Amino acid sequence: MVKEKITLKNETGLHARPASELAKLAGSFTSTIKLHVNGKTVDAKSILGIMSAGIKYNTEIEIECDGEDEEKALSEIIKGFENNFGEEQK
Amino acid sequence: MLKGKGISSGIGFGNIVVLKKVERKIEKKTIENEQVADELERLHKALNQVIHETEIQMKNLSGTEADIMQAYLMIMQDPSLISETENAIKNSKYNAEYAVEVGFNSVIQIFENMDDAYMASRSRDILDIKDRVLGKLLNEETIDLTNLNLNTIIVTTELTTSETAKLDFKNVSGIITEVGGENSHTSIMARTHTIPAITKVEDATKIFKDGESVAINGTSGEIYVNPTEEEKQKLLDLEKQLEEEKTELEKYKNTESMTKDGTKVKLYANIGLPADAEIAVNNTAEGVGLLRSEFLYMDSDTMPSEESQFEAYKQVAEIMKDKEAIIRTLDIGGDKELKYLKLEKEANPFLGYRAIRLCLDNPTIFKTQLRAILRASAFGKLAIMFPMISSVEELRSAKQVLEECKQELDNENILYDKDIQVGIMIEIPSAALIADKLAKECDFFSIGTNDLIQYTVAVERGNEKISKLYTKYHPAVIKLIKQAIDGAHSANIICGMCGEAAGDPTFIPLLVGLGLDEFSMNANNILRARKTINNLDKEACVKLSEEILQMASAEEVEKRLKQ
Repeated sequence: MVKEKITLKNETGLHARPASELAKLAGSFTSTIKLHVNGKTVDAKSILGIMSAGIKYNTEIEIECDGEDEEKALSEIIKGFENNFGEEQK
Repeated sequence: MLKGKGISSGIGFGNIVVLKKVERKIEKKTIENEQVADELERLHKALNQVIHETEIQMKNLSGTEADIMQAYLMIMQDPSLISETENAIKNSKYNAEYAVEVGFNSVIQIFENMDDAYMASRSRDILDIKDRVLGKLLNEETIDLTNLNLNTIIVTTELTTSETAKLDFKNVSGIITEVGGENSHTSIMARTHTIPAITKVEDATKIFKDGESVAINGTSGEIYVNPTEEEKQKLLDLEKQLEEEKTELEKYKNTESMTKDGTKVKLYANIGLPADAEIAVNNTAEGVGLLRSEFLYMDSDTMPSEESQFEAYKQVAEIMKDKEAIIRTLDIGGDKELKYLKLEKEANPFLGYRAIRLCLDNPTIFKTQLRAILRASAFGKLAIMFPMISSVEELRSAKQVLEECKQELDNENILYDKDIQVGIMIEIPSAALIADKLAKECDFFSIGTNDLIQYTVAVERGNEKISKLYTKYHPAVIKLIKQAIDGAHSANIICGMCGEAAGDPTFIPLLVGLGLDEFSMNANNILRARKTINNLDKEACVKLSEEILQMASAEEVEKRLKQ
């Protein structure tokens, strides 16, 4: 199992579109992927789970990946967060 | 007779088709063990049908709408939602319909209870999907919008994007909705396809019955149910008259926007949505003088991304080709709110935190839009216009942000029009008074009369009690218009106008006399304005304007111009 903490830098929060991108990305790995946020744990492969976590700007998120492709999953997801899932690239 | 608000002109006769949500009853049944597999199969079949339909709809969409559909697709395939629903069948032994209720409702509840207003409103999306899945499970017949009878008048709460995408336009002779404004999807689509449309008809889906014969007047907003012969005749006469006027104006499609003695002006269109650019072109607009970019922000549940804005502006650039299209940057605040941008309530919103003030204070929002416009400028002839400029400092700051965006794009090797024109709205008296100074630092002006009037005479636009005081004929307003035009010309830049006054045939002679270069108006008024201009004499207009400038009261001015 690998995990890492990041902070959401998307000013509009993790709304429908980036949430669906994240769920899509997470779904492409075989590992189980969880997000620990605001004291809750949600499944990163579930758009509803992600949206229900109410992740806002500057929220700290711990990403936890467990499975065969955990290393790759973690780095790809962090990369996704870093470029705001294609939104407002700067 | 019923009355609503006409949003797309024309006369329509036809028979009602009401699109409304069926009131359904979901039965709770307990199933046997051996039925579990069948119910699961029914569930997945219904889900797949809805997924399939959504995928087809997505092909006609782009930008924000496509993003929403994409999220819908993900929700329908969401593992936690599916397992909740499957468990209701497998463990609780419910029938598929009831399992959908249980499964979806548990998720809806989570969202409803969230403290974030945006997220709480997402529960409606899931409710929407639930309705569609249940419709499939219950084999409910939905009206096939792709195949309607001739002369159908659609009655609905509001046409959704997905409904609009499949609508069989050639058989629709009118649209009546309960809600929606002039820039709603319904109205823009109706105008694009020249289908008469009326909105704000309360309880329309309850009042009208399928098959009922109605006649509608999309200009006045009047609706006649089972019209009498007399009423029909009256409308037919009106239709004929409108047709004749239209034919008469057709010939102005080929004339130049020029006075009898050879002074040329530009006739531009004001548009609210990218698709409106088509209407502008059809009406021979020589450009777009005002693209209100608010539609992108108002129609969305989140701040629109650079990408979705880029797509929208690019669409306008491509439709207008070599013709100029001026995009006004975000003009929000005041009376226009955004649900995802929490703005504090202000005592005087029209004098408050709005438009350029808000943008300069929120560089991320501002830069996202400017980058999108710049990127789209590579595909046509776009120009940028800043609203609510009251001082030289604001113009400089806004241009500074624009420069930063250009720099960024240069560093990223992204193409844009390096000579993109930058102008400002003149809608605050202070700007009109220092027009000569502002003109030295930008490429064009556009006078926004609606706000200029309200700020000059201190009359709030929407306040009925004092609406008589709100007049473009006030000598002070006319002086400020003159000052703006003279200021522009002193620096050899163009002065346009994009307020309603620019399209008013009684006001145009005065504006021509004052030297206005560009008139931007509702596209449907362009031919009428060109007719007016073709019959004017510049010298006579100048004399008229000199005469008007001597007048002391709005009453005198109005009387003289309407003579």
